[in-house]
Amino acid sequence: MTVLGEFALWISLPVALWGMFLGFAGGRTQRGDLVLSAERSVYAVFLLHLVASIGVIAAFVGDRFEYWYVASYSNREMEIFYKITGLWAGQRGSLLFWALLLGLFSSVAVFQNRNKNREFMPYVAAVLQTVLAFFVVVLLFAQVNPFERLDFIPANGQGLNPQLQNYWMTIHPPTLYLGFTAFTVPFAFAVAALLNGRLDARWIVLTRKWILTSWLFLSIGIVFGMRWAYEELGWGGYWFWDPVENASLLPWLTATAFLHSIQIQEKRGMLKVWNMSLVLATFLLTIFATFLTRAGLIESVHTFAQNLTIAYIFLGFMGTMLALCTVLILYRLPQLQSENKIESFVSRESAFLFNNLMLVGAAFAVMWGTLFPLITEGVTGQQISVGPPFFNRVNIPIGLVLLALVGIGPVIAWRRATKKNLQRNFSTPFIVGLGTAVVLWFSGARHGLALTTWSISAFVLTIIAIEFWKGTRARARIEGEGLLKAFFHLVTRNRRRWGGYIVHVGIVIMFMGFAGAAYNVDTKHHVMPGDVVEVESPMGHTYELTYEGLSVSIGRGQRNLMWQMIASVSVQVDGRPTGILTPEKRSYVTAQQPMTEVGIRSTPIEDLYLILAAVDDTNAALSADASAQGIDLQVLVKPLVSFIWLGCLMLTLGTVIALWPSADRRRLESEAVDAAPATAGA
Amino acid sequence: MTMVLGVALVSAAVVLFIVQPVVKGLHASLEREDDELTDTEARKRVALLALRDVEYDFLAGKLDDEDYRSLKSELTAEALAALEADEAARAGRAGTAEGGTAVAAEIDDLEAEIARIRSHIRSGLVCASCGYANEEGSRFCSSCGTALGGRAAS
Repeated sequence: MTVLGEFALWISLPVALWGMFLGFAGGRTQRGDLVLSAERSVYAVFLLHLVASIGVIAAFVGDRFEYWYVASYSNREMEIFYKITGLWAGQRGSLLFWALLLGLFSSVAVFQNRNKNREFMPYVAAVLQTVLAFFVVVLLFAQVNPFERLDFIPANGQGLNPQLQNYWMTIHPPTLYLGFTAFTVPFAFAVAALLNGRLDARWIVLTRKWILTSWLFLSIGIVFGMRWAYEELGWGGYWFWDPVENASLLPWLTATAFLHSIQIQEKRGMLKVWNMSLVLATFLLTIFATFLTRAGLIESVHTFAQNLTIAYIFLGFMGTMLALCTVLILYRLPQLQSENKIESFVSRESAFLFNNLMLVGAAFAVMWGTLFPLITEGVTGQQISVGPPFFNRVNIPIGLVLLALVGIGPVIAWRRATKKNLQRNFSTPFIVGLGTAVVLWFSGARHGLALTTWSISAFVLTIIAIEFWKGTRARARIEGEGLLKAFFHLVTRNRRRWGGYIVHVGIVIMFMGFAGAAYNVDTKHHVMPGDVVEVESPMGHTYELTYEGLSVSIGRGQRNLMWQMIASVSVQVDGRPTGILTPEKRSYVTAQQPMTEVGIRSTPIEDLYLILAAVDDTNAALSADASAQGIDLQVLVKPLVSFIWLGCLMLTLGTVIALWPSADRRRLESEAVDAAPATAGA
Repeated sequence: MTMVLGVALVSAAVVLFIVQPVVKGLHASLEREDDELTDTEARKRVALLALRDVEYDFLAGKLDDEDYRSLKSELTAEALAALEADEAARAGRAGTAEGGTAVAAEIDDLEAEIARIRSHIRSGLVCASCGYANEEGSRFCSSCGTALGGRAAS
């Protein structure tokens, strides 16, 4: 199976190249046979990569350690679940997995359009195959072939880094890859529009759902990563402005900008060049994200330098794409002229434009902060770190402006808004926002940035609530419906708008959660069994933590576990017992350092987060010395962390509502299908 | 042996599958479908959607009278222009069927919805001061108390 997989990977390259040439040629010469062949090659490449992926999984499950990739990321003791997900555990497999997902989406896009939008399809197929061919070239020629064999067969593999053996870590990369790869489809349509000259909003209308889907997966993928960091890394944070995190944030920022700016093109026929540039930038950033995370650049510039082939291939591809697309945009510039002008500075168009500038500005700042240390290290050999302070100083103000725009943008009228319009729509929310600030100030929350964030959040949430209320009321009157029914129809009749509002609510809730970090409590205590630690939470609760003792279990290498030390801490909140938390230290065969497993008690308003920071005498504890029970217990209280996960749920809900096909359209389409055979027969 | 057979089978299937259209002359269509949204239709739809939103915004009290009137006249002009362009384009493509059923129905729907909102506004039940849409037979606004005059249609 594995040999077949390797072979399938090899022949996918000529097939992808064939599709690429025939797609372009077929589009140019308008020959339907060439185009059909190109489209079929898209399906073929996907199936070949499916065979290749099954080959890799078979090698993992069958403990085929003669393969370098398997030997490096698995061993006999690993659970079967992690052997299967080994496909994306490391660089080599993830590149193949990436190609597999891209092939899947490419096939879906080609299949969806087999009978419609035909003038786009030759070029769409060609562009998709170009990107696929690029990934196959990387896999085969950049010394990252997952099927590479060792000269000998090791008795066992090295096993997977235990930090990666976590539920969130198995779903986080695939979710992100889904987001990254799905964005290739809108990019392909944009290039097709540049090539076939149909430069109205058609390509945007056709790919709107792809853009939203990609954006949704990116958002969820990023939050999954945060969740993983929070639970697994054991330092109590969820975001560290680490290059890998930044790499996933960059395309998200530009994709979010794009999602907003295409609405202006659809409604007003403006920003055509800008949208083309954003779709190109987002696509390149998804490739850049892989480059950064999966080309070994992050770990260190020095280890990276040993394999420069992959860098040349990636940079070459990105450079070529950038150059070709720029030339195409310049060539089509006369047809990309704006049909309208921004009429007033105070209008929804300008609010959207401002939102775009902010998002792109944030993307530039994040990119600079990520690349600067790498460039410096490459040039001077000195490792320097830009670190969270830089990112926070730049991005928090941008984030707050964007947060305010979330409220302002959708309510300002298109074209121009008069002073009266502003007064009418913003006075109540403004008062609520200010009132929130005053109330919070007097209840003791005096951290400037947090206060600002919560006050703006209240402002935005009020605006959205009023929008929903006014819309429902107006609809109830006009259509003579009850409020509940009117509300339901309001949302279903214009899913994009109201789904969008729900996404905005999710974003606001997440921001409220981020601001909670201003009130984090972090204390460290040395405790012996029976000791009680008292911690006051910023929300006014008192935690009484009783250290019950340390239990040690010695493993024999099952699941690669060597030993496990579990500290039992019983928790009382305001005098009421609420259970036991068990922060741990674990030692794995596959890792040099002991790992930390934290104990978390999560409530809607705050999390109690316990870390077993150190054991006084590890060796004594391991040799069952009953007196060696002293530990360092780190106690963190983290307000509003749950808001982040809740916000992500709202965001998902809103996006799904916006993506849902409208009832009328579904009905009409099924009628059209029913009617088709009848007309054909007539 | 099985492996060699598998490899041979896979490659043969792939080559056959992708080369067949060229050899046998199977053609994929490259024409634009009749029921596809045309440019003019798309523009008409967008104009009507914008018009509906303005009507609702006025009804919901988010736009004042002055803004409403000027936006409405601009958008109506745009919708009319799109409508005319659409009809001209349709005449140019004589013989093709009436546009996509889904789109045509959606546009009819939108037009009906706009008409309903307008008749409500015209009946004078929408408060000129706060935009609240009142029950039939009201003489004063239930929201802000302003007297409701039978405001003439604009």
